[in-house]
Amino acid sequence: MRTPPTSDVDLFADDVVLDPYPVYAELRERGPVVHLPHNDVYALTRYDVVRDALADWESFSSASIAFNPMANEALTGTSLASDPPVHTRLRATLTENLSPRALRGLKAGIDAKADALVAGLVEKGSFEAIDALARAFPLEVVADLIGFTGHVRDNMLRWGQAAMQVLGPMNQRTAENFPVAGELYAWCSQVTAADLAEGSVGRGIFDAEARGAVPANTAGHIIHQYLGAGVDTTIAAIGNIVALFARHPDQLALVRADPALVPAAFNEVLRFWPPINAWGRRATRDVEVDGTLIPAGSQVAVLLGAGNRDPRHYDDPDSFLVARNPVDHLSFGYGPHGCAGQGLARLEAHAVIEALSRRVERLVTAPEVRVPGNTTRSIEELPVLEVIPA
Amino acid sequence: MRIVLDRPRCEGHGLCEEAAPQLMHLDDEGELVLDREEVDGADAALANAAARVCPVAALRVE
Repeated sequence: MRTPPTSDVDLFADDVVLDPYPVYAELRERGPVVHLPHNDVYALTRYDVVRDALADWESFSSASIAFNPMANEALTGTSLASDPPVHTRLRATLTENLSPRALRGLKAGIDAKADALVAGLVEKGSFEAIDALARAFPLEVVADLIGFTGHVRDNMLRWGQAAMQVLGPMNQRTAENFPVAGELYAWCSQVTAADLAEGSVGRGIFDAEARGAVPANTAGHIIHQYLGAGVDTTIAAIGNIVALFARHPDQLALVRADPALVPAAFNEVLRFWPPINAWGRRATRDVEVDGTLIPAGSQVAVLLGAGNRDPRHYDDPDSFLVARNPVDHLSFGYGPHGCAGQGLARLEAHAVIEALSRRVERLVTAPEVRVPGNTTRSIEELPVLEVIPA
Repeated sequence: MRIVLDRPRCEGHGLCEEAAPQLMHLDDEGELVLDREEVDGADAALANAAARVCPVAALRVE
């Protein structure tokens, strides 16, 4: 077995997290596994090895999904950070209220919300798309779903952002965000059914706990995962939808002409700009990947965003083309830990794409503003200067 | 060849049905039903496509 090639790249440097794709292309060419001494990780760079590793929980443990030990310690006992067989039970509890079959009743309401929001923005003619749409819409959907009221609703954005930032290496961003992520953790440790609106999914989780259908003292953890994992990523995806359609009016025109392309368009947005580009695993043993050795105990960086741009798997990977419908993209992960909230993410994103493609012919935007982040790659500000309505 | 469903792992995302509607569908409760389990030829290719797109790796063809 060969030793993998090395690179002096820092995956979490500001310029890399702002635009990781040129660096990912270099790493992919160096090899399917590249050792990065700066981050003390083995990076998986090509589509096939990324997907295989996500499926192989026996070799690649989720006990180290974050890139610092404090965050991994804090996540111990959650489905996110567990391996089968413990994971299987935790996952079932988490998805009972989150699977597509549990969410079927929500589609009409979510579609109506997105359409009303987009209609109002089209009428205004100019707006800041991140606050007015990418944040406003999922915050409202998730808050209503879980039944958040009052100050929790106000804190959802900063708590959700911090929960993602602290998964990075122990850099300044992680250090600054631990206290904020701690507020979320503390609130979820003491939340009770009475804090959540009646009839909400959040209240339902507490009812399930009271019935014994969910183990005692897990309802708060489940709410924590909804907020920690489901807010910041969805916001990023919806912001990316707006930005990519503004940049590629020809691709918006394709969806306008054929609404059956809505799911394909979301798959391509996720492939092209994943909300999360790098995710952690730990090698449980000496693992051979494509003839190279990842030593037992190593931290692994699974580069979802590099796999999504692998020309060995997708033709012309650096072009944004909705018709390719890359249904096997890596942005939701894959396998036992595949994103538990992907059904809800699809409902929200499809609703936004449908509303935009029905009501907008073209968007004229100013350059997007980005702020470096450890985990979520999202747009901070996207001024829409003019809407050419449909 | 045979399509095998890991039922506890299936969450009803429905991507398999989009890939191979001739072979499987979600019922009114959102539970996956395999309309055919033994497949060959073109159907085996469809079954493989369905297994490939399952986001939680709940389907396999053996």
